[in-house]
Amino acid sequence: MEGPDDLLVDDLAAEAKKIKVGDTFNLLNHDWRVAGIVEHGKGARLFVPILTLQDLGGAHDKASIFLLKCTRPEHTEDVMSQMQTLLPNYKIHPLKDYLSLMTSTNVPGLNVFVNAMIALAVCIGLLVIFLTMYTTVVERTRDIGVLKSLGANSPFIVRAILLESAALCLGGIAAGVGLSYLVRAGFLRAFPTLSILITPEWILRAGVIAMIGAVLGASYPAWMASRRDAVEALTFD
Amino acid sequence: MAIAATISSAQFEESRHSSGQELVKKHVEPILKTENLWKPYRARKVEVPALRSVNFSVQPGESVAVMGPSGCGKSTLLYTIGGLASATRGTVLVDGNDLAAMSDAERTKLRRSKIGFVFQRFNLLPTMTARGNIAIAQYIHGDGFDPHRFDVVTKLLGLEGRLNHKPSEMSGGEQQRVAIARAIINEPKILLADEPTGNLDTKNSDIVLQMLRQLNKELGQTIVMITHNPEAVTYFDRVVHMRDGIIVDGIPAD
Repeated sequence: MEGPDDLLVDDLAAEAKKIKVGDTFNLLNHDWRVAGIVEHGKGARLFVPILTLQDLGGAHDKASIFLLKCTRPEHTEDVMSQMQTLLPNYKIHPLKDYLSLMTSTNVPGLNVFVNAMIALAVCIGLLVIFLTMYTTVVERTRDIGVLKSLGANSPFIVRAILLESAALCLGGIAAGVGLSYLVRAGFLRAFPTLSILITPEWILRAGVIAMIGAVLGASYPAWMASRRDAVEALTFD
Repeated sequence: MAIAATISSAQFEESRHSSGQELVKKHVEPILKTENLWKPYRARKVEVPALRSVNFSVQPGESVAVMGPSGCGKSTLLYTIGGLASATRGTVLVDGNDLAAMSDAERTKLRRSKIGFVFQRFNLLPTMTARGNIAIAQYIHGDGFDPHRFDVVTKLLGLEGRLNHKPSEMSGGEQQRVAIARAIINEPKILLADEPTGNLDTKNSDIVLQMLRQLNKELGQTIVMITHNPEAVTYFDRVVHMRDGIIVDGIPAD
């Protein structure tokens, strides 16, 4: 950046906003000249000279935040306590605490919303599995009669239906995870600056919730099948 | 050699000494016996007796055909002696076990080990291959897959080349042979067949009946078969006629 109105942009923002070097870009009601495009991961999407930014904000020679880098991370606590002694009127936080304030878990109401969505998904999933397995059991009434004629007892029939439900669920989980990655890829293609995390912890959590829902949803149809009269089942059309 | 002479011949088994000269008759308990068997069925709000004091017995190794008009109680008799339905009165003795005194779970266990069923509509599991349909009986039996027994039975019924086919890919005769294989894979004491040729053409009917006779004559399999087909009864040792829920006679087939 050579001039006061020069702006650097990272590659993701450049792609999202369709801007290239030499373009004029309006930000904070000010026209900036795009001086270069940098690789993303530098801590911000856009970079402008601080003096120009201070002038635009009416805060010449003022700063609201200072970032300090310790040479060794294990010294962070000591450095903070010494700085707090020297500058008692300043708030000093480790960067990890500061960053945590920006995560989704600190957005007011977001956790409640996420939990409500999970509960809703579990209820819908449970109903869908219940209806699917109920229909399956009704459609296979004769097969259940055949199993009984072969000497299958109630636990065998319940186990068979629950295992089928679990197998379907496993397939669903795999498809769901795959679809999530596809949707994520689609979103990132459309909105490159968006950040979507699919963590192993959440995949595991979703899988466990789905499996519990599948087993619970199939329980009643399985029990119903195990109680079915064998002769009625064999003559079912 | 003492020969009992006053007891009905149906209760005796004939065997020869190693010399092959003398006949020895010894008392044999029926493998299947019903006494005063009653079973009603409910038609809307009316209760109609399907079985009315049925007395019926089958000796080990015997093949019996049960004939009678539709609605006379043949299938009800088969399901009751197979432990799929319970009688309201009377006793059903299967290999010495009284089904009437058993719980549903006990009857299921007995059915698993002592009874094989063959149905008119084959009743194969449509999503499984012939191999799966036969093997599942072994799994339910509890001893797991026995490849030797599996090979013997499938060869006996000529199914070696059809094992990887699903029921929808097989003819009726083939499906019924798979059903027979499934029924005998666990070496049941009694094979109960509910009109096994009812859905087959003449050629396939003959094949299935010949196989049932082969099972009876060569392996000593006890068979009780329900049929409408007068020609089918010639393959059996004895024919029993039913009418209106009772057995009206028991005459030799020939």
